[in-house]
Amino acid sequence: MAAEILAASSPRRPPFGQRFLLGRAERRNLAMGLLFISPWIVGFVAFLLYPFIYTIRIGFTQYSGFGDPLWIGLENYRQLFRDDLFWKSLYNTLFYTGLAIPVGVVVAMGLALAMNQPVPEVPIYRAILYLPSVIPAFALSFIFLTLLDPARGIFNQALMAVGLPNINWFGDPRYSKLALVILAQFGAGQAALIFLAGLKGIPPTLYEASMLDGAGTWRKFWNITLPMMTPVILYDLILGLSTGIQIFTQIFVIFGNDPPGAPANSTLAYVPYLYNNGFRYGQMGYAAAMAWVLFLITLVLAFFIFRSSNRWVHYDTD
Amino acid sequence: MGNSNETPYRLIDHASRRRTNRRRFLQGAAGLGAAAIAGARVIVPVAAQEGDAVVFWTTFTDPDLAILKGMVETYNGQTQSAKVELVQIPPAEVTDTSKLMTAVRGGTGPDVYHLDRFVVAQRAADGVLQDLSEFEGGATFLDNHIAFARSEATYDGKPFALPFDTDARALYYNRTLLMEAGIDIAALDPANGPATWDAVKQMANALNQKGPDGNYTRMGFIPWLNQGWHYTYGFSWGGEFFDQAACEVTPDNAQVVAAFQWVYDYCKELGPQQVSAFGSPSMQPGFPPQQHPFITGTLGMQITGDWMINQLRTYAPEMDYGITFIPVPTAGNESATWAGGWSMAMPQGAKQPEAAFQFMQWMSGEPGQRIYTKESAHLPTWEALLEDKTLFEERHRFFSEQLLPIAKNRPPLPVGAKYWDELTAAWQAVYLNEAEPQEALTAVKERVQSQLGRFCPVTIEG
Repeated sequence: MAAEILAASSPRRPPFGQRFLLGRAERRNLAMGLLFISPWIVGFVAFLLYPFIYTIRIGFTQYSGFGDPLWIGLENYRQLFRDDLFWKSLYNTLFYTGLAIPVGVVVAMGLALAMNQPVPEVPIYRAILYLPSVIPAFALSFIFLTLLDPARGIFNQALMAVGLPNINWFGDPRYSKLALVILAQFGAGQAALIFLAGLKGIPPTLYEASMLDGAGTWRKFWNITLPMMTPVILYDLILGLSTGIQIFTQIFVIFGNDPPGAPANSTLAYVPYLYNNGFRYGQMGYAAAMAWVLFLITLVLAFFIFRSSNRWVHYDTD
Repeated sequence: MGNSNETPYRLIDHASRRRTNRRRFLQGAAGLGAAAIAGARVIVPVAAQEGDAVVFWTTFTDPDLAILKGMVETYNGQTQSAKVELVQIPPAEVTDTSKLMTAVRGGTGPDVYHLDRFVVAQRAADGVLQDLSEFEGGATFLDNHIAFARSEATYDGKPFALPFDTDARALYYNRTLLMEAGIDIAALDPANGPATWDAVKQMANALNQKGPDGNYTRMGFIPWLNQGWHYTYGFSWGGEFFDQAACEVTPDNAQVVAAFQWVYDYCKELGPQQVSAFGSPSMQPGFPPQQHPFITGTLGMQITGDWMINQLRTYAPEMDYGITFIPVPTAGNESATWAGGWSMAMPQGAKQPEAAFQFMQWMSGEPGQRIYTKESAHLPTWEALLEDKTLFEERHRFFSEQLLPIAKNRPPLPVGAKYWDELTAAWQAVYLNEAEPQEALTAVKERVQSQLGRFCPVTIEG
């Protein structure tokens, strides 16, 4: 029955071969459509597609960016797996991403819950909580340097006031990556805003029904809020993965680039190492190979997150 | 341009009255496109004018930038050839030339580039720079410069840059601070020759003070601060960093390892993290120079370069300080220091090569270096100028007369930038006691050598 209604309501599809034959008006429409998105098409082809394909080729060569690339086959990829700094940078990046994303979800959720409180001043709170997210990463990194300075920083003074040791965040390899994780939380306002939209989308009837059943705050959060928020959390994880793995600016500003990854390679992340190979050591081919390996790693990680999402993401909002 | 301003309004007007047919809309859109292109073309004549000038890029910041500006003005006032336009580009790190590389590839590179001389070989090997021997007088111009500067500016037997200045490193000490702590500073008088590292350590320990929270509030000496680099200590212990015959980098050479070991032990005794907490903030980007511990009087001694004379004049004019040789491992050893400096290079694709080369010769020649030496308190590489006593005040003369003649230099290798970065990461690991010297330096050798191999044999001139 349902199938008949569906068939009746949708226009009859032409045979496969004829589906691509366009009438005059349609062809004109297509041409017009392409014309109007042509700035995007040109940009996409010139600045994304072409470099994308170009780096595949360059990845098989020894190339400084000048002169003729020398074809060396898979040598860059072989060298990559022998390069302990490649592994170190990969470890640092995954360590950072693996910590910054989950912590980020918790912080963003906390902020979103705070922004969702039914108090009259909530717009002011929202503005305050969101403000750090609009500061550019470059400026924020400088502010952060001052806040966490071991001698004068207010954050360290606060730690010491409650009896904790004075931590040399930027000079001690044990803490330098943690400092970056903390810094990432200053941008949590962005995610919190999306989380807030998610919270607003949860039907109030669910809470009302659970209250009738005698559920407390914690139970409501655990059994209603959290499951209903899982699509938003999945979105945040995927987004966080791609930005986390490409971390660059903060490291460049805070730890300098002379050499990259100070102190003692503890903050040598993947993309800064890639950048240095390309622009400092004259090894564009090696950098291109690194870029492709990173692309594949991100793809695999994103794939696993999506695969696992079957088990924990609830799309059922009815 | 007049018509094009009306176009958007006409378009919107038509659209709002729903009278726009597709053809008219397209005409309008084409008009807009043409206006945009015409708008962009307005820039072209300006660019063409700039094309007549010799464009000179520098990463220098004030006070040295102001001196460069003055020099360019002086040159422009007297040249018959094209005028020079000085452009300051963001002060990136010395070995990072991403802006230069992308601009040259895009056809918008400068005619002259201010390049840290120790990476000339690397950039020349990469193919970014032009061989200067093809210009008139280019093959012999370097003969007037001191030997090590000449060798740094040469790659594969050809000149790729013209030396601009040099510098040298020494031990600076705050006389008042040391004397107040009851330290006999006679050992630091250069007239008595270099002190030993252990003597310096003893003096430093007398100055170290900690606050109630266990953090240092005053320190005598931090080995790795400022110009206390791997090369500084490696040279001091008589180490070599490159074996030309074997075409091998030698950071694991016994003397270099011994030097790193001394620093490892020094920091271990004082607590590597506490030393770092005291010293590292001043090494971070954006740290105000007037708050440097040596300037605020909470650090007794430091290794730094001749340019510090100028900085102290600005930020601590009252300070009573002395300058002496870099210490030695054993009494009676000869002190060693090292020199670096900048150069003028011509990237590929320079639009005014002949005029650019004239300007480069002036800057790195006698007239340019005379001005720069006098005003900046750096040292000249133009050999004849070193004899001119009027160019150096007394403290500066210590550098030109006593230190420069004994100064060593970093091996100018086609992997110079990589070598520097690797040594620095190992250096940090060692002074933070995160790695043993031998192990860290062996790793440096493996990584750098794997990249040097394809350039062998490497011949270093001079």
